[in-house]
Amino acid sequence: MLRFLVRRLLGAVVILALISALTYLLFFTLPSDPALLSCGKNCTPANVALIHHNLGLDKPVPVQYGEYMAGIFTGRRLPLGNCPAPCFGLSFANDAPVWTILSSRYPTTLSLAVGGAAVFLTVGVGLGLVSAWTRGSLFDRLASSVSLMGQSVQIYFIGPLAIYLLVDRLRWLDPGADPDWSHDPAGAVGGLVLPCLVMSVIFWSNYSRQTRSLMIEQLAEEHVRTARAKGMGRGYVFFRYALRGAMGPIVTLFGIDLGSVFGGAIITETTFGLHGLGQLAVAAVTQTDLPLEMGVMLFSSCAIVLFNVVIDASYAFIDPRVRLL
Amino acid sequence: MRLRNSTARTARARCGAALLAATALTLSACSAGGGTGGDTGGGGADGAKASVQSVTLGTAADSVGPATAVAGAHKGGTAYDLEQNGINHLDPAQAYINQEQIIGQLFSRQLTNYRIDPRTGKTTLVGDLATDTGESSDGGRTWTYHLKPGLTWQDGTPITSAQVKYGFERLYASFETAGPQYVQTWLSGQDFRKAYQGPYSGKSLPDSVIATPDNRTIVLHFLAPHPDTPYAMALSGSGPVLPAKDTEAKYDSAPFSDGPYEIADYQPGKQLLLRRNPHWDPRTDPVRDAYPDEWDIELGIAQPGLTERLMQQAGHDKDALALVAPADPTQTPLIATGAQYRSRLVSQYQPFVDVFNINTSRVKDERVRQALMYAFPMRQVQTALGGAPQGDLATDLIGPTVAGFQAADPFGKLAEPNGDPAKAKELLKQAGVTHLKLTYAYADEARWQTVARTLQSAFAKAGIDLQTTAIDSTSYYTLVGKVNNPYDLYRTGWGADWPSASTVIPPTMDGRLIADGDTDYAHLNDPYVNAAIDRVEKITDLSQQAVQWQQLAQYILKNDTPVIPYEYDKYFNVHGDGLGGVTYNSPLGAINPNTVYVK
Repeated sequence: MLRFLVRRLLGAVVILALISALTYLLFFTLPSDPALLSCGKNCTPANVALIHHNLGLDKPVPVQYGEYMAGIFTGRRLPLGNCPAPCFGLSFANDAPVWTILSSRYPTTLSLAVGGAAVFLTVGVGLGLVSAWTRGSLFDRLASSVSLMGQSVQIYFIGPLAIYLLVDRLRWLDPGADPDWSHDPAGAVGGLVLPCLVMSVIFWSNYSRQTRSLMIEQLAEEHVRTARAKGMGRGYVFFRYALRGAMGPIVTLFGIDLGSVFGGAIITETTFGLHGLGQLAVAAVTQTDLPLEMGVMLFSSCAIVLFNVVIDASYAFIDPRVRLL
Repeated sequence: MRLRNSTARTARARCGAALLAATALTLSACSAGGGTGGDTGGGGADGAKASVQSVTLGTAADSVGPATAVAGAHKGGTAYDLEQNGINHLDPAQAYINQEQIIGQLFSRQLTNYRIDPRTGKTTLVGDLATDTGESSDGGRTWTYHLKPGLTWQDGTPITSAQVKYGFERLYASFETAGPQYVQTWLSGQDFRKAYQGPYSGKSLPDSVIATPDNRTIVLHFLAPHPDTPYAMALSGSGPVLPAKDTEAKYDSAPFSDGPYEIADYQPGKQLLLRRNPHWDPRTDPVRDAYPDEWDIELGIAQPGLTERLMQQAGHDKDALALVAPADPTQTPLIATGAQYRSRLVSQYQPFVDVFNINTSRVKDERVRQALMYAFPMRQVQTALGGAPQGDLATDLIGPTVAGFQAADPFGKLAEPNGDPAKAKELLKQAGVTHLKLTYAYADEARWQTVARTLQSAFAKAGIDLQTTAIDSTSYYTLVGKVNNPYDLYRTGWGADWPSASTVIPPTMDGRLIADGDTDYAHLNDPYVNAAIDRVEKITDLSQQAVQWQQLAQYILKNDTPVIPYEYDKYFNVHGDGLGGVTYNSPLGAINPNTVYVK
């Protein structure tokens, strides 16, 4: 297990280094000049050159990249001020330390991801289980149809619809709001209910369909039939034998979906006016804010890579046949 | 280039004009139709009309505080502001876009400022920290300001003339690159950073440049006469900085307040929370009523959600407004026609004029450029961009918020707003041009894609083959700003820095400025125009100067036709019912937060 973790973590470091280098290089393939976004009307050659110097863009790209990556561990002295470790640079747009900005944003995305995942796993897997249990029933057919619809819609379609109906008209739910867990936990939950529900819709339908078919497949397996023949109860076999067999692929799907959850956060946060990493990523790109782009990319990649290591490790617990090497 | 939106490099500037003597001057700027939101009128019959007013130069008596009270207003409560973008700069010296300047009104004060009558919307330039808008001598080269007594910082420290001088010296520092550069250029020339490196060099500007003969007097010595000085002193950076609280570049995230509010919490791109500054004395302030106890400024609220929130006003959105964000174009028809929005609608001109630049270094024959002007379908373009609520059809380089505005229409565009392809064909024939093929570049966004198709179809009727090229919107200004760009037609916008065309014509039409990244996007380089700019800039009678700018603008448009103006932008949006005293700051093109109260 230890060997597995060390190997996977070393692999994660290589992946993150590649992602960071690629992001940095991609930024410079665009013809846009961040200095021209901040010089306003004062875009004289002298002012643009000064801004290039202040932003560190007057150095060769590999040197900039090296200094940026080293700064994460050692901190940096920048023309616009000190940036203590972990230094992800100062935002090109507003001169604020990127780490401070990231720290104020990740709780929203994390809350959204955890809340959304809790909803789509519970609802999706639950619906799939009930459908498999009642295979061929009216409920099964209805659940399949609803799942198909859920899979077809998009957050930017159902989001505004849900806001209009549930917030503006019926006033059943609070509009989306950034969570403040330390000062207002009740308000944090209230502000996340609708965004989590909406974000989960596009995911739970997939889980419901997958769970249903995996369970039906598992229930037809010989070991399940044997268990039933040995006199075990239907419910016991359903959960103890069939579900355990179906869990592996569902967890794999969840691991793959995690990247999509972050992707979904961009649209969900924009739709509900939340300030998470997704909204930050959009702002960084539209403002050609390289340090912020790098910060968001590294932070999100790190989260996804680490979570996948955890998912892989969890196979050992779900299926004892898996040996982690 | 518009400076109202931080995602697009834009120029928002203000306008200035002043007499050498401090006599009242009326600039025929079109501006604040004054209060709105049911207080002083607003939307107009069709819900989209903006009105034209004037900006006057006030007297010492006008500069005495407190600000004019709003009828029925009371102190208390929290006002909410919804901002589409984050705030890039809180350091007043770095503030240029109208969002930064209007929010800065809440925590920073300048030597002068715009006093907006909450009843009539009449806008007057008055002394803010200063006792008046300035006294000039030495033919307009020297300007003297006296600070009012009793001015303090948020910790109670008195404000002195030395701190104002220090504020001006900071403008020279290497990190101050975003704000306007008028004052430092006027004091030390174009290469002002070579003349002086800022207060962190351990040196101070000599008295021959800025003198402070006593604690309340500051004397500015310019290299040349600058009659616009009273207006330049209303720019955000024309105020004091307390050296003990100066954190250099980091001041941009946490400036020290001398205004009615101080910064309680700031999370970049997310929220700016302002609470009352107990040391602000309303008796010294003729501009700010400062009724709410707090301002909660929510940043990064995407459209159309922002407009939807203001329309629906659920929860605390009842007490919300958008200081600078106009309504999303998808919502404007609903707002313009909905009777329920009438009482809380603001529809006013902004200082921005939008144009399509014709690259004169590629399209060299003015008859061809005039053919494009005739063929241009301005009505369809206006419709594609959201219709009249977003902006009125423009036929001039100088917009209605600027002194001297006359709405000249040398090509009869208002009579043929859909374009006159026959006239265009005739001009092309005269120029001996057949099979004209041009390249139109646009930022790759949905609305500009629609406009591209509109132009393509209209120009085809005149026999012009318009090739369209989409540019990634983050690279748009970089690419169209290049001197050797391969495009013939591209859009930009420009806003006056104060209500004078001194901040419009020279930066956009002076051919001697042409360089990569400059703002003469059409690359016009007409020796007559260049010489005329020098001549008009020297006129010290601002009324006369305004007339001359207008004449020059008309000459440029009629004879050189380097651009096709198409829209005078408007601020058009609703605010929550829970707010009163909502007036409009026309020189900044934004809601004026100074008179707002929570009902």
